Amino acid sequence: MKWAKLGKIFDPTKHELPNDCHEFAQSPQALVFDDFVRIYFSTRQRDPVNQKFLSHIAFVDMDKNFRNILNVSTGTVIELGGLGCFDEHGIFPMNVVGVKDKIYAYTCGWNRRVSVSVDTSIGLAVSEDNGLTFRKTGNGPILTSSLHEPFLVGDPFVSVINGAFHMWYIYGTKWISRPGAEAPPDRVYKIAHAVSHDNRTWIRDGRQLIPDKLNPDECQALPTVIRHNGRYHMYFCYREAIDFRKNSRRAYRLGYAWSDDSTHWARDDGHAGIDVSEEGWDSEMQCYPHLFRCDDRVCLLYNGNEFGRHGFGLAILEE
Amino acid sequence: MHNWKKLGRVFDPREIGNVEWMREFAQAPSVLMFDRFLRVYFSCRPLPDKNGQYVSYSGFVDFNRHNLFEIVRVSEKPILKLGDVGTFDEFGTYPVTVIRRGDEVIAYYGGWTRCESVPFNVAIGVAVSRDNGETFTKPGDGPVLSYSVDEPFIISGPKIRRFKNRWHLFYIAGRKWILADGRPEPVYKIRMASSSDGLNWERHGKDLIDSRVEENEAQASPDVFFHNGRYHMFFCYRYSSNYRGKERGYRIGYAHSHDLEHWVRDDAKAGIDVSEEGWDSEMVSYPHVFELDGDIYMFYLGNQVGRSGFGAARLEGKLT
Repeated sequence: MKWAKLGKIFDPTKHELPNDCHEFAQSPQALVFDDFVRIYFSTRQRDPVNQKFLSHIAFVDMDKNFRNILNVSTGTVIELGGLGCFDEHGIFPMNVVGVKDKIYAYTCGWNRRVSVSVDTSIGLAVSEDNGLTFRKTGNGPILTSSLHEPFLVGDPFVSVINGAFHMWYIYGTKWISRPGAEAPPDRVYKIAHAVSHDNRTWIRDGRQLIPDKLNPDECQALPTVIRHNGRYHMYFCYREAIDFRKNSRRAYRLGYAWSDDSTHWARDDGHAGIDVSEEGWDSEMQCYPHLFRCDDRVCLLYNGNEFGRHGFGLAILEE
Repeated sequence: MHNWKKLGRVFDPREIGNVEWMREFAQAPSVLMFDRFLRVYFSCRPLPDKNGQYVSYSGFVDFNRHNLFEIVRVSEKPILKLGDVGTFDEFGTYPVTVIRRGDEVIAYYGGWTRCESVPFNVAIGVAVSRDNGETFTKPGDGPVLSYSVDEPFIISGPKIRRFKNRWHLFYIAGRKWILADGRPEPVYKIRMASSSDGLNWERHGKDLIDSRVEENEAQASPDVFFHNGRYHMFFCYRYSSNYRGKERGYRIGYAHSHDLEHWVRDDAKAGIDVSEEGWDSEMVSYPHVFELDGDIYMFYLGNQVGRSGFGAARLEGKLT
């Protein structure tokens, strides 16, 4: 794979954002219209109760050259959950998928815990207005903790293949508590896959889909899949479990895997064809990739340094 | 109306002595029958931590099968470990319900985690015993019945049953958290799921029991018992707020069904209420009905939802 970087295409600090949000445009995900592309992202509000972050979904409409911003959302795209709900403290990310005449959003909802910082589950919402707003199908999640995926079920990416809904997502395997450390426990999560024939009942493969490269505590996030030239390609991001925020060598990088049947995957990071830049907005980390097709081009949205605090960029597949 | 003759309290954890993990509470009794004794699982608590917060463990007490007032043995340690950091049952295993499967005993239980905006959340876990129910191990770190689209939180209060070769799990599902004087209080309703293997559950997806005292009535302990050709459910219910005292606290309700799906609530037939005075004078809750040597009994909790243990009642006449 060979990518041409277009650079950063959206900077949230240069726009007024809804829900009293400032900075962060994380996990960009595209919905392609005839004459523009709507890119959803997660941005952040300070919780007035305790100054912690609340993640909200917003979007930007861009022309198909990704040079001109046509519109930035001004209202609430999707409400956060009510008291005690799985998505009370944030939605991040949200995967938007057009299926026939419906637009679905698969959300990763966050709620805060006491002994660990957070848990996540996956929700489903539907839009009746071309993706301007989304209504949840219920107050609870469609995919959450289970016997062998005990917590942190999140980062959904859904694709319809031969009439079946395929979801790639992540699940937590452990929380690492370091005795004596002041920092709260750090999480470890892996990529998995589930399938559904009715978009309601999901059957999990029940296994880690992508082997670890760094070590057993490698954290793998945000799988995204596209079919191109007769083969399925997956990008995701991965990092070390601890000391990953400021230490660039341990921070998120983009990983790559391919498959001929969308079931068996070969990890092949050496052919990802994209890495951190020498300098600039994506020089320290790359994370939260999203693959999509725009007319005849294969495009890759992703975040750079500081997990997307200052926006996201785009690359176009050359070969 | 059913006619329950109260026999009095049969177990008080505070009388057991210096057991760190069993200082008080003996909640949600669940019976496992043996030839010579009756094993009753319950959930109990150590003293609260410095912030006033509890964890809960589960243990058992064995009664002489022919004399429910004779304690043969009390479990020396909890039957189940609390979960690791970040798992659904890190802070409690309550309540527990048990059933035999061949040589094994299977337990379903509510696993408790602590949340920031509300005090807790609950999902249902499973554990297996191969030593006649003395100790249980979990097949995985996560729950077998967790939150879903229309059951968003507090999946708890399991009661496991096997009818006509199919597994049935009666449980409660949270509907909403309301704020009462600024304090979050959960509203939950009785639901059911069924399964062919006890691990993969199909939810029925509807409330089984109509609410009676108010829309936000909270319902718990859906204890189903098949007798005389129909299913009988004893359960408990309370008001949504200020329910920690007598007036709005737990009472025992009753419903019957021919098919497990459609239930007729008829609390007037429950036949058991708070006493004039004593250990169950403010509330009665968490009923569990079982048959023992030709008689039908109910274990249930009294004041403060079982803080001082549980008692027994024997049915006089028929369950109809």
